[in-house]
Order: sequence, then structure tokens, then C-alpha cells
Amino acid sequence: MSPTPSYALRRATARLLHRFNFGPTPGQYADLLRRGLGATQATVLEHGRVDPGLASVNALVLADPGPFPPAGTAAATTFWNRLSAESGELVSWWLDRMALSRYPLTERMTWFWHGHWATSISGVEFPLPMQKQNNTLRRHALANFKDMARAMAIDGALNVWLNNNENYLQSPNENLAREFMELMTLGVNNYTQDDVTAAARALTGYSTALSNGTVTFNVAQHFSKPLTILGTRSTFNAESFASLVVSKPQDAKFITDRLWFRFVSGTTTPPSTLEKSFAGRDISSLVGALVHSAAWSDPKNSLVKSPVEWFVGACRALKVRPSTLNADGLQWELSQMGQLPFNPPNVGGWTYGQAWLSGVSFQYRTELAQLIVSKGDLSPLSVPKSKMVQACADWLGVAEWSRRTASTLATATGTPSTLALAALLSPEYVVSA
Amino acid sequence: MIDCEFDRRRFLQWTGAGMFAAVSAQLSFESLASAASTAPLPTNTPILVLVTLYGGNDGLNTVVPFTDPIYQSARSNIALSSSQLLPFTNSLAFNSSMPSIKALYEQNNVAIVQGVSYPSPSLSHFSSMAIWQSASLAGVSSGWIGRWLDTQPHSAFNAIGVGSVLPPALVGEKSVASMVDVGGIQLPWAPVASLLQRLGRPSASDVPLEAAAATSITDLFSTASLLGPLVTTSPTGSVLGKQLSVVSTLINANVPTRVWEVNLSSFDTHSSEQGDQNALLAEVDSAIGAFMTSISAGSRSNDVTVMIYSEFGRRVKSNGSDGTDHGTSAPVLLIGNSVKGGLYGEQPPLNTLDPNGNLEVTTDFRAVYGGLLHDVLATPVGDVIPGWNTALSVH
Repeated sequence: MSPTPSYALRRATARLLHRFNFGPTPGQYADLLRRGLGATQATVLEHGRVDPGLASVNALVLADPGPFPPAGTAAATTFWNRLSAESGELVSWWLDRMALSRYPLTERMTWFWHGHWATSISGVEFPLPMQKQNNTLRRHALANFKDMARAMAIDGALNVWLNNNENYLQSPNENLAREFMELMTLGVNNYTQDDVTAAARALTGYSTALSNGTVTFNVAQHFSKPLTILGTRSTFNAESFASLVVSKPQDAKFITDRLWFRFVSGTTTPPSTLEKSFAGRDISSLVGALVHSAAWSDPKNSLVKSPVEWFVGACRALKVRPSTLNADGLQWELSQMGQLPFNPPNVGGWTYGQAWLSGVSFQYRTELAQLIVSKGDLSPLSVPKSKMVQACADWLGVAEWSRRTASTLATATGTPSTLALAALLSPEYVVSA
Repeated sequence: MIDCEFDRRRFLQWTGAGMFAAVSAQLSFESLASAASTAPLPTNTPILVLVTLYGGNDGLNTVVPFTDPIYQSARSNIALSSSQLLPFTNSLAFNSSMPSIKALYEQNNVAIVQGVSYPSPSLSHFSSMAIWQSASLAGVSSGWIGRWLDTQPHSAFNAIGVGSVLPPALVGEKSVASMVDVGGIQLPWAPVASLLQRLGRPSASDVPLEAAAATSITDLFSTASLLGPLVTTSPTGSVLGKQLSVVSTLINANVPTRVWEVNLSSFDTHSSEQGDQNALLAEVDSAIGAFMTSISAGSRSNDVTVMIYSEFGRRVKSNGSDGTDHGTSAPVLLIGNSVKGGLYGEQPPLNTLDPNGNLEVTTDFRAVYGGLLHDVLATPVGDVIPGWNTALSVH
């Protein structure tokens, strides 16, 4: 190992840490640079062990609040306030898990799947079904995609969000059937309108209790005659429909493309060999192949961190527990930047790339960075001024400052909090280059 | 946070790769601010305001063929009754949630282009919105206004969206639009402002996305210095009303901007359509009414053209949830004091549907864009939509 890590190694290490682990904890980047790329790959892939980082995050127990009281009553106001407060707690609880996890891949993949099966509390309204979905996504985050798809086909929050509660035998509602194939398993143009019509029938008979997300199956309300879906003639229910679509070869390509799109680049495409690692629909095998791929040495594979990824990365580096920040302020800033967890803008999930980079976003990002820095541990900057700018790059996991940013930061070495603020807002930290 | 703002709900998800490959123009703050303050938009320069309705607005319950018996029979659970209609011809009526637009129509200031979509319409929100915003059926990654920006001398002010997340239509191959927010524009905390401004300078080592991040910083400083003082009070009203209020304020202040974009979501009415869509259309109507009142009272009265569109219309036959599933063509509304009001194109017949039970397409949306490029933006259509040369003029 060379005493001064090459730029290529610094970039690949930074990319892996930011994209799969929400960014390094203090000292982690420098340590992994010393240990080499293999150690970084192994580190970011660690999951499934008891996570000591999460020991301090208390379980969030949400009770079933029952149905809405009559509108306009005092009880209705109290009820709404309760749902609003619990929704906020749910967001803080998840952000804490992302920021405090020692092995963040599970939370990172849960975050990916949340954007993939993009369900919004704006349609579901009750936090308990959202939490149940979140736990389902976490349970399957690195397991088998077929099992995940089967579980999601009968997930209460998804069923409510995509109108499957209104998908009746006599009058099908196509919403869940279409989006399940288009956005979640196969991709557009890999099914026909006839497949959508038939799939909607396969999804009849399920009814979700709004306040708790419990799904019940009523066979009398289910279309039990044979259907033809994607060329297969059979009787179907939600789970066998999910198994069928996931078994199609287009599913392997689609999921591989989605993973590449979110972790590697919005402008390059994966090598055709990558989807082979997903032949058995094992998610951890696909993620492992991606982490070990050549993608990290290709200069073209830069990515804009989404607002939540940027925020959690800053919290991890500055050792800030998100729930200790002003909750209303934090959630306001994230929603203004367009990314509040549990509130994706629509069933297609979050936007990406340059869309996150408006001047207005920079305004809100600055306000949020000030909040983080005011609570942050800046001790990694406790070095002589002449070494502070480089120490900051090593701390935050930035491969290299541009001349612009280095010279800007150099003017702030007298005030570490200002230096940290500017570093978190710099193009080199906002973008995973 | 159920009550937090959902005004940024929008369909920005593009399924194809290659989106946002644009390398932002590199401009110094000083040159922008100086150009903008010394160069207000010349008098009589036409201005385009795009109003994007995300989710697929049901055209048949917006501009209603109310005398067609199929309208009643195919969607008896959501068909508007006579008290919910504002007829403007023998066979067509506005939804009664749209009194302001009806009044503007009677003043001959609303062009209704009927049956608008594109060949073989996609029933996917994302594919269809991508096609509308890129003006390409072939998965081109840049937006049509973005490509118009590419033809213009660079300025942070040429096109401005309202919100924080850039819509795909405003992203070109070389240039992107700026954004302003309804909450006003504030420069960062003064003691660090000058330091942060330095982060907006270009650097030779920037990859394209880092260059875009730097440009966004410069954009904030330039828009804040020019536009910030103009948007001093937070507008009140609905989600769309606030956005259009900011736009009318800035247009009346002669900001050098040719294209504006605002948007409203939640038109995906798979269930309980009447209540939801009527409320959304009422929001659009009152926002447009207030906007046109403000514009008509200012010095830009004849300069502004508003286009209201959605990614698709909805199925002719309603579903059992008192809603409608995804459909195809729908009317596009063009509004302005210099617009020649009336009906354009043909109303698709309700008795001749495609195999999925959806309306035929009688007007290609690119013809509408062609007319706007020619009449409003004074740009050859083929420069923005390669290979396309049809223009439907409403001016």
C-alpha cells in the first residue's frame, strides 16, 4: 500500500461509503484508505449482524388509533394532531436508524426500496401501515426479491395507496396492477393493457383496514376463474401474480437497472453481465456484485446525493442524532428540498440528479447544514490550521477538493464551524463525484 | 407531517437513462446581476407560463361533451349533472368549478385545443409525462424548454420554475432554468454569505454534476439579489394560487424571463373523482382568474400566454370506485389576452374508442408546442423539436 493513496482509490472508497453506507463516520475514511479497496467493499456490505449502533434507538410502538371521528368535531382535531405527531416520530425514528447504524447497508437498502415501492403517507394517512411497510421492506431489504414482491402485493399501505381497496370484482381498479408491473417489477413496455386488466382481477378480494394496514382476503370477492397474465393461463391471487411477474427475465434486468440508476449513475448503463447475479432474485448477491464491479473506477459514474442521503451523511460525520434536532425545522427543510421520508412525491419515487440542484435547494440545504453544524462534533478539525482543509476531506470522505473549494475553506480555518458548513455545502460533498 | 406541503408532488421520475446530462452554463454572479438589472424584459416581449397538472387530469369532466348520451351512460357515477355544468356551446360545457375560465372564454381569451396527445399514447404516468416534457417520443433526455434555453444567450433568468426541484421540461443539454420559491428567496446567513458565494465559482476539476451544483449556488445569489426584493411578502392562497401570484408579481416587475413553470398534483383520480377533481379544478380556476386579473392590470397585459396541460386524460368509462383509470387524449387550454379564443382541433368521439376504451388522438401536442415556439418564443420549431414542423397557432 502506498503511503499516499491514489486519487482513484480515494474516489472509489468515497463512492462506496457514501452510496452504500450513507457516508463515513469520523476516522472511517482514512482508516479504510489505509486498508485498501477490498476492506472497503467488505465493510460496506456488512449486514445481518446485531447492530450496536441501533441499541440506543428505541423501538417506536404505534397503536391502532381506530377510524376517524366525525369531521368537524373536537375529537377529529385531536385525532389529526395525533396522526401528525406520530408521522413525525416515524420520520425521526427512521432517520436516527440511518444515522446511527454501525452496519448501514440494511437501512440504505430499506431506503432504496422505500423509493422503489414508493408509498406516501399523504395517501395512506395513517402512520401505522407505513411503519408496517417499512418493517417489511427492512426484513426483505437484502433477501429474496420474489419474497419481497409477494409480501408487497398484500402490503396494506401499498394496497391503500394504489386503490386496491377499491378494486372490485364487478369493476376493477387498475392502479395497483399497472404500477406493480411498470414501476416495481418489470418496467414499462414489458406487459400489455390486457395483462393490466387481468392482473387487476387477480388482485381483487383484498381489503385493507385503513388505520392499521391489516389486509384480509375474502374469496367470495376474488376473481377465481383462470386468467391469462404475461402468457400464462392459471388462476391467480396477489401472491401468485407477484411470483409470476418476478419470474420473468425482464424483472432481473429491470431491478438491476434500478439499482444501478440509484447507486451508480443516472447516465450510464450497467454491464449486461451484472443481472446474472440476480438470476435467483437474491438481492444481497446483486448488491455484492455491484459493490465488487468496475463501476467505481469509471469517472463518468458520478451521482447527486439525494437530500436525505446528504443529510444522513452529514449527521454520521458530525455525530448528530437527527431526533435531537428541532423536528419541525428538520422536516420542513427536508420537505422544502423535496424529500421527506414516507412522503415520496408520487408512485414513481424520488427524482434524481440535477433536479436536486436548484438555487432554492441550496437555500434550504444551507439552513439545514447550519442546524447540523450547531449540534455537531467538530473535533476532527482540531488539527493545525495548515492541515485543516485536508483533514476535513478525510473526515467527510471527499476524494479531493477542487481548487475553488480548497481556497474557500482555507479562508475559514479560524472558525471550524464555518469551515464545516462550507464543506458540507460544497459541490464536492453534495455530489458523489 | 401529514399536513406538510405536498405541492412538490410531481412526476419527475424518468424511466430512461440519460436524463439531466446537461452541463450548466458557467456564469459569474456579477455578470448575471448586472445584465439582469440593466436589461429588463423589453416591452411587448411575449411570455409563456406553463401550468403542469400532474396525475392525468380527466379531460371529459373538464371540458364536458354533456349532450352526448355516451357521456352519461359510460360514467353514470361521475357524470356531471346540469347544475354542475357551464355550457359554452350546444354540446360542450366547462365543469362548473371553472367560472373564471368560462368568463375568460367568453371574452375570447381561451383557446381549447381538443383531443391532444401523441401517436399510440402510453398509459404510464411516467412515460407519458416524459414525452410531454421532452417533446420526444424517442426517449430524448432533455426537456423542450431546456432545449429552447440552449438556443438562447445564457442567462439565469430566461426560464424560471417555481419550487425547489427542477422539472425535466426545464433541463436542456447545455442550460437549465432557475427556480424561485413561494416562500421568497433568502440569501444565506450574512456572515458566511460571501464565503458560500465563492463555492459557486467554476473549477476546472468539476465533473458536470459538480459544475451544476456550483452553478446552483451562483443562481441563488443572482436570483436572490434581483428577485428577492420583489417577493417580499409571502403570498397567500392555494398551492397553485401562491405559485401564480409569485409569477405575476415578477412578470409585472419586468423580470427578463420568457418562460415560467408552475404545477399542481393529485389529478390521478382513480377513486372519488368528482369531489377531488372539482376541488382541484376550482383551485386551478381561481388561481388562473387571479393571475389574469393581475396581468391584465399591469404593463404586460398582452404579452402573457398560459398553457394548462396534463400527461393524459382518463378512461371514458368510469370504474366502480367512482373514479377513472388512465386514458389518452384530453384538451389543452391556452389562455391570454392576445390568444384567439375558441375551439381548435376536433373533439374525439365517444363512440369510436381504441381497443382499451380510450379516446382517439386528434391533435399532436407537438403542434401546440410548435405554435407556442413560433408565436411566443419566436424560435424555429425544428431548433427545439428536431424533425417536427407543424405549428397550431392560437395567436
